[in-house]
Amino acid sequence: MLLIHCPYCDETLPELEFAYAGEAHIARPVDPSALSDEEWRDFLFIRTNARGTHFERWRHIHGCARFFNAARDTVTDRFLVTYKAGESRPDLTVKESAE
Amino acid sequence: MSRYRIPGHGRVDHGAPVSFIFDGKTYQGLRGDTVASALLANGVHLMGRSFKYHRPRGTVTAGSEEPNALIGTSRGPGRFEPNTRATVQELRKGLVTESQNKWPRLSFDIGAINDRAYMLFSAGFYYKTFMWPKSFWDKVYEPFIRSAAGLGKSPTENDPDRYAARYLHTDLLIVGGGPAGIASALVAAKSGARVVLVDENPEMGGALLSDPSVMIDGAPAWEWLDTSLTELRAAGVRLMTRTTAIGYYHQNFVGLCERLTDHLDTPPADAPRERMWRVRADQVVLAQGALEKPLVFDGNDRPGVMLAGSAQTYLNRYGVRVGDNPAVLTCHDSAYHAAFDLADAGSRIAAIIDTRRDVRPDLTDAAAQRGIRVMQGHTATGTKGRLRIKSVRVNPVQDDAVGKPVEIACDALLMSGGWTPSLHLFSHTKGSLAWDADSNTFLPDRRTEACQIAGAGRGLWGFGPVLEDGVNAGLAAIEALSRSGNPRDLPVQNDRLGTGVSHTELPTDLSAGKAKAFVDFQNDVTAKDLRLAVREGMRSIEHVKRYTTNGMATDQGKMSNINGLMIAADALAKQPPQVGLTTFRPPYTPTSFGAFAGYLRGQTFQLTRTTPIDPWAEANGAVFEPVAQWRRGWYFPKPGEDMHAAVARECRATRASVGIFDASTLGKIEVAGPDAVEFMNRMYTNPWTKLAPGRCRYGLLLGEDGFIRDDGVIGRLSSDLFHVTTTTGGAARVLNMMEDYLQTEWPDLNVWLTSTTEQWATVALNGPNALALLKPLVEGVDWDDFPHMSVAECSVAGLPARLFRLSFTGEVGFEVNVPARHGLALWTALIEAGKPYDICPYGTEAMHVLRAEKGYIIVGQDTDGTVTPQDAGLDWAIGKAKPDFVGKRSLSRPDIVAKGRKQLVGLLTEDGSKLEEGAQIVLDPNQPLPMKMVGHVTSSYDSAALGHPIAMAVIEGGHDRMGEVVHIPMPDGVRRARITSTVFYDPTGERLKA
Amino acid sequence: MTTQKHDFAAPVQIEELAPAARLSLRVRPDHRAVLADALGLDLPARIGDRAASDGREALCLGPDEWLILAPEAADLIAAAAAVYPTAPHSLTEISDREITLHLSGPSVLDLLATCCPRDVGALAVGRGCRTVFDSATVTLWRDGPAVFRMDVWRSFLPHVRNLMALAEAELATGL
Repeated sequence: MLLIHCPYCDETLPELEFAYAGEAHIARPVDPSALSDEEWRDFLFIRTNARGTHFERWRHIHGCARFFNAARDTVTDRFLVTYKAGESRPDLTVKESAE
Repeated sequence: MSRYRIPGHGRVDHGAPVSFIFDGKTYQGLRGDTVASALLANGVHLMGRSFKYHRPRGTVTAGSEEPNALIGTSRGPGRFEPNTRATVQELRKGLVTESQNKWPRLSFDIGAINDRAYMLFSAGFYYKTFMWPKSFWDKVYEPFIRSAAGLGKSPTENDPDRYAARYLHTDLLIVGGGPAGIASALVAAKSGARVVLVDENPEMGGALLSDPSVMIDGAPAWEWLDTSLTELRAAGVRLMTRTTAIGYYHQNFVGLCERLTDHLDTPPADAPRERMWRVRADQVVLAQGALEKPLVFDGNDRPGVMLAGSAQTYLNRYGVRVGDNPAVLTCHDSAYHAAFDLADAGSRIAAIIDTRRDVRPDLTDAAAQRGIRVMQGHTATGTKGRLRIKSVRVNPVQDDAVGKPVEIACDALLMSGGWTPSLHLFSHTKGSLAWDADSNTFLPDRRTEACQIAGAGRGLWGFGPVLEDGVNAGLAAIEALSRSGNPRDLPVQNDRLGTGVSHTELPTDLSAGKAKAFVDFQNDVTAKDLRLAVREGMRSIEHVKRYTTNGMATDQGKMSNINGLMIAADALAKQPPQVGLTTFRPPYTPTSFGAFAGYLRGQTFQLTRTTPIDPWAEANGAVFEPVAQWRRGWYFPKPGEDMHAAVARECRATRASVGIFDASTLGKIEVAGPDAVEFMNRMYTNPWTKLAPGRCRYGLLLGEDGFIRDDGVIGRLSSDLFHVTTTTGGAARVLNMMEDYLQTEWPDLNVWLTSTTEQWATVALNGPNALALLKPLVEGVDWDDFPHMSVAECSVAGLPARLFRLSFTGEVGFEVNVPARHGLALWTALIEAGKPYDICPYGTEAMHVLRAEKGYIIVGQDTDGTVTPQDAGLDWAIGKAKPDFVGKRSLSRPDIVAKGRKQLVGLLTEDGSKLEEGAQIVLDPNQPLPMKMVGHVTSSYDSAALGHPIAMAVIEGGHDRMGEVVHIPMPDGVRRARITSTVFYDPTGERLKA
Repeated sequence: MTTQKHDFAAPVQIEELAPAARLSLRVRPDHRAVLADALGLDLPARIGDRAASDGREALCLGPDEWLILAPEAADLIAAAAAVYPTAPHSLTEISDREITLHLSGPSVLDLLATCCPRDVGALAVGRGCRTVFDSATVTLWRDGPAVFRMDVWRSFLPHVRNLMALAEAELATGL
């Protein structure tokens, strides 16, 4: 069971309070009708399936109920950072080189 | 006094005899004994038969790593447990135990014929022996393997015991209550940190319990132990004994299994037998010590052959001499101390056989002082004795040449192949191991978790170094906790330092092919098996493991992994680190299923939700069915009625007069705010802008992929407020989906969502008399302006209510929502008021029939996650003028608009028989196998209103096949059915207008 | 005393509290002060913080979510409705959605630790949180070192009570 830092509650809490919510930073197109079938397919189905750092969404479902974003290493299962929904993808190179 | 017990010696209570039964015979032991120590005190070494060859076996160890002495224990009816380690099971009054894997009895076991057929059962025999003829597999081989395989008997009754679970959060968890763990705890406790110290044994102390002559900090070991534990308790350290750390998971999450009652003569009623602790620790110190390795030579499994350190434990902890004239076979200094302690306690040591040519002079001097013969540079090449060792065959080794043997008589053989750190928990964390060529063992290397490894667990030897290391680990842990601590000096006198060498099989002058030199005792894997596996092409240690089953027993390789690796590496002519170690898997020791289940069994196995009206249903004989997490009234049989009759009656009564139905489980979401209507327009397929307050509409919810996710009737209470209903099973999912869009796609919208599923109890009234029944009970509704699909806030039966006029039956219908606490009152008021109309409560089955007669779909039954609105015939629910809604773009994807999609239709069988839900449909029943299946039946019921069965199905291109006949092959013949509309009853909706 | 209602020596005491008005308030942070004024109740901004006045209580559950307790709902609803045009929000009555348990006694933290994965002991007195008890979402209010209130969704209550009964029996054995 992982520990997850909720950026809204500012607390690190057991995974059982959270629900996974898929890959992050896949914004719904403002005008879906303007997209080609291929573009829409990519939006719907194509995911990065990263080995290593993965940007993903979680929801603090049994807590503040907010969706938020996280960068997690899919090899070690380690959370690198969590941040609020709507915030841009953090630059992890700085953090990594410091380690 | 038992023959081998030393009066007053050890930590057992010599004034407290405890009798117990082993294989039908009563024995005396002492309070503090294990079954193994008590049997050894009585001179019993033979405790079981081995897995494959049914060889006689005795205890090899004195701890949880025991591979051989597995017994069945019984604590009363339903409380039989197989494969309990006799070395761990504490004595308690009336304990009944038995040996395993023997017939007719332990001393004479027919199954031992396998031992003679040794050649047949070599590595991979499973894959070779039973290969042909193929037809023999089902009838001969498999039944034979099934009956012969397995250790012990499975319990046949439900486990009547309780099991518990607990979460625990702490700053520091120390695993292992030996000298290193205690030293860590002493320094950490002073820092004010929350410290938990766990040990699998009944008491703390670890190796100190087996070595009382050591002096620590000026006091004898056991006195220091007492003082230290008192200090820890005073400092608030949580000391947990009989508690095994079974698994070490991400972010310092450690599972502990605490055994609470198995050692008690009379456990308190309601006391849980075991408790699973789920511990989250900021820091962990692993101080698990080291495990002694057996030596690998022919006959090393004979009862009486055991680890030297374990013999020392039996002596010093339990006051039991394991023999009168034991011999010692070693390649490590530690075994000398076992020999010395036993000699000092009155046993005559037959000889110390040391594989090394050079031995520390102080050890040989100490042996000489005790009159013990030391045979340096010798090997053991065999043992004799049927049920107990009688002698060991010993040969000198000179320049790799094995000389002439001598037989040394003995009644026990204490072996030491050196020590290997207990790496199991560390390996669970995927911490890497480094090969230490000096000690010929793997040591913990790179850590992945916030943990320290201390003491013998990282290859240190001797109490002085181990205590110092424990102190350092404790200091490192508290520093990582941003706390400060002080070093502590724990000087040791009479320390028992030592080193050793490591071996593959011991050299022999006999044919290696005939040697039964065991590596994995529990799985009967020999050195020969491992070499055979390599010869037959296994190159990876993982393959060798699986081919031979070495290390796959319940001891998870505690005895066998390193020896197995050394032999495999030798056979592969590689260095051990190049061959690598197999993975240690949790649990560290066998753990009962009850401990894993904890509270989640029986009534609390899983959540069951009930509605406020459930007590009435229960009292009125409802038969229930589970729907999502809920239990719902399925039907309400009258005396003598079966389900079919009850459902038919409920349907008829509803269509004839009025039926009442508990719809409280429907999901309800309050959508409120200035942008509520905009949000609804974006989420649901339907248009909402023009829906006037006080009116409701069927809403259809798609996923972004265009497939139907949910549906329900939605009422607009005011311009800014919608009362959304969802399916029973969809409530949480729909709210989650709505929140997702609202929080992450449209955070600019001023609208908020609140689950009100449980705020309201919901009672549905349906039937031609529903209006007449309800009207007198309602206040605050203008009936002239309350047509079908209306909603009003009003009062019903004097209760505040939200009243919906809608129908899921095709009859005039209402859903009355009242605050949940009033649900039962509303229900009984309506039942009372309905008596003149013969009101009939109906359950979910009648509800399904009534809706199917009208062709109303059930999401999740008539749809399966691949059904679009067009497929389901719900195009009318799509707001085509809306620029966008969730899933709209997908409705024009090429595969969604393609011809030949499965579409929802009605089916009527030509012979009037009822179809089976899930039955597959074909167009041509005479086509060759495998037939092309074009769809399946989704719903099928007997319709009381129509007098014949009806069905719904999804069929490829179904909407264009109206009137066509399709075929449903069933085991008893092929049914013919005609494709129809899904609306079977009152197609023009006349009854709604009544 | 055979008529004694509570066994004060028991490790835990579990009581169902009488229903009170309970409302869920959702409002953007920039309108928080307006609603606080209207409701006559401070609305703390930090998740888990609570405020109380005049028998009314507020617990911040999320960045835009407060749980409000009061003896009566109608006054609050009317007061909030009055400011809706300038401070749009949602104030939904959920008095019947949950049932509140009063949990107390020397072993109350152990009781909660049987099924709550979070470190309930770390919740400061006077704060609250939404969390999970086994599979049920619950709201915990810590009113004292060994005193909690727990709001449980009505239909989940039998399951929660069954689990608590097992834990109570276990705690009573002292093992």
